[in-house]
Amino acid sequence: MGNIKIVKGTFETQLALEHAGIKAGFPSPAGDYQHETLDFNRDFIRHPEATFYGDVEGDSMKDAGIFDGDRVIIDKAVEAHHGSIVVAFWNGEFTMKYLDLTHKKDGYIELKPANAAYPTFKVEAGDNFEVWGVVIHMIRTFEKL
Amino acid sequence: MYGICDCDNCYVSCERVFRPDLVGKPVVVLSNNDGCVVARSNEAKALGIKEGTPYFKLAEEFPGQKIAVFSSNYELYGELTSRVVSIIRHETPSYFRYSIDECFMYLDGIDENKLQPWGEHLYKRIKREVGMPVSIGIAPNKTLAKIASKLAKKYEAYRHCCMIDDDYKRMKALEWCPIEDVWGIGRRYAAKLQALGCRTALDFAKHHPDWVHLTFNNINIMRTWQELNGEDAVPNEELAKKKSICTSRSFNGMISDYETLRTHIANYATRCAEKLRQQKTVAQIVGVFVNTNAFREDLAQYWNFQEVRLITPTNSTIPIVQAASEVLQKIYIQGYQYKKAGVIVMGISEDSPIQQDLFDTDAETIQKMRRLDEVVDRINRMHGSETVVIGAQQYTQKNGKGKANVFANAIKHDHKSPCYTTRWKDVIKLK
Repeated sequence: MGNIKIVKGTFETQLALEHAGIKAGFPSPAGDYQHETLDFNRDFIRHPEATFYGDVEGDSMKDAGIFDGDRVIIDKAVEAHHGSIVVAFWNGEFTMKYLDLTHKKDGYIELKPANAAYPTFKVEAGDNFEVWGVVIHMIRTFEKL
Repeated sequence: MYGICDCDNCYVSCERVFRPDLVGKPVVVLSNNDGCVVARSNEAKALGIKEGTPYFKLAEEFPGQKIAVFSSNYELYGELTSRVVSIIRHETPSYFRYSIDECFMYLDGIDENKLQPWGEHLYKRIKREVGMPVSIGIAPNKTLAKIASKLAKKYEAYRHCCMIDDDYKRMKALEWCPIEDVWGIGRRYAAKLQALGCRTALDFAKHHPDWVHLTFNNINIMRTWQELNGEDAVPNEELAKKKSICTSRSFNGMISDYETLRTHIANYATRCAEKLRQQKTVAQIVGVFVNTNAFREDLAQYWNFQEVRLITPTNSTIPIVQAASEVLQKIYIQGYQYKKAGVIVMGISEDSPIQQDLFDTDAETIQKMRRLDEVVDRINRMHGSETVVIGAQQYTQKNGKGKANVFANAIKHDHKSPCYTTRWKDVIKLK
């Protein structure tokens, strides 16, 4: 029996079995070409500890291709820059908008929607405001699982 | 050097990650049955709310105060604190999770001159990535590291990381630290020490070792005295022996049917509960693993491990067996030949009667289970192991009517926050 190693992933805890014992039998001809299977968690989640999820309500970002009911993946470890789609805490609720730093030197920043029907929020120093995280992916399901 | 990373007002901070509007406001978290206050924000402490204050008294004792109240959401707290530990794992040579909100770190691989900036970096990373504020203490031993973390929590000038690395800092810290706040000094010893004139850690540390020996004749108190004086005296095994308990076995042949496997799992879980009671500890997490025979490449292979977090940490046989059976139900797949299975209990802490009372969902039920465990342990000690076993099937059936089920369903939590990180329907909503 090989070592049992408990590996804690973000989504589930799994038990990986590594057996160091000698393998008997005919070696698989595919053995030399083996690669690990593509894994969404491994390849798309860069900071598991800092990754959170959010559900989109409303169409304020529709021109960015994000619609009501879409699910976004938020990374709190990523630095927000000009043009990032951010999750911000503003006016007592979470909102998702483009971060616009054009006027940072003038003492304010803007949260811009991707929908002409919505207003731009102007955030000044001292306002109760926080960039909570940066949106790095979006998931939209087309067929019910 | 040793470090400790301690989450500030852990449960309150978990709630605030998703409620930034509550930063700077009084927040309390209630015990399981919404009975009494178990966690307070600094603002709630400043109002004079005490730990253990019954919930119904809050409105009458603090009229007109806006206090945000949460039922305990252990699913959320467990997940966020695991993320904190995961970051610590990336940043330290080795670590030991001591409780839900405290983690010891062994820092021998890090250059001592760089420890202070390293600690500040660790704070920033945890705060930014998980949203959890922590206090970090660094010192030549675990007892002093704990005191350092209290200083880091208390004084902002430390920038969340306090390091005791010379005698001057050590003496200042000991002078500041009340004796009852010293790690390893229980309530009883603190009272005795105070009666003997030891008000601070320094008062105690200045006594002669012979005095300590003659007065207490206790190895743990002596170790605490040694650590206050700068030695590294509390063995890591003292912590490690409480880390987790695993009972597992390879079967003689192989087992494929669920009923047999469940009986084995119930036995292992019972054994884990007995071990917990022997060392006077309780566990919060019950995990189960199963695997097939890896050497039989001709057979289909399967392995799995899952865990469940108990609402109340316990060492009672019934809830632990029930939890293990629930997990088994999730991971068992028909058709495989199982070779080995086991039960692991984790999240182990001292079985302190006070904490038990705070977290009780139903004091009477727990008292009854405790008495039952005591009787069963006594009989098994007198007449040999497994003279009395619990009727596992009665309590582990999916829709069983056992006490443990009634117990699990009777919990009241009117102010529970969403499980933002563990249930898709509860993720944050973005306007």
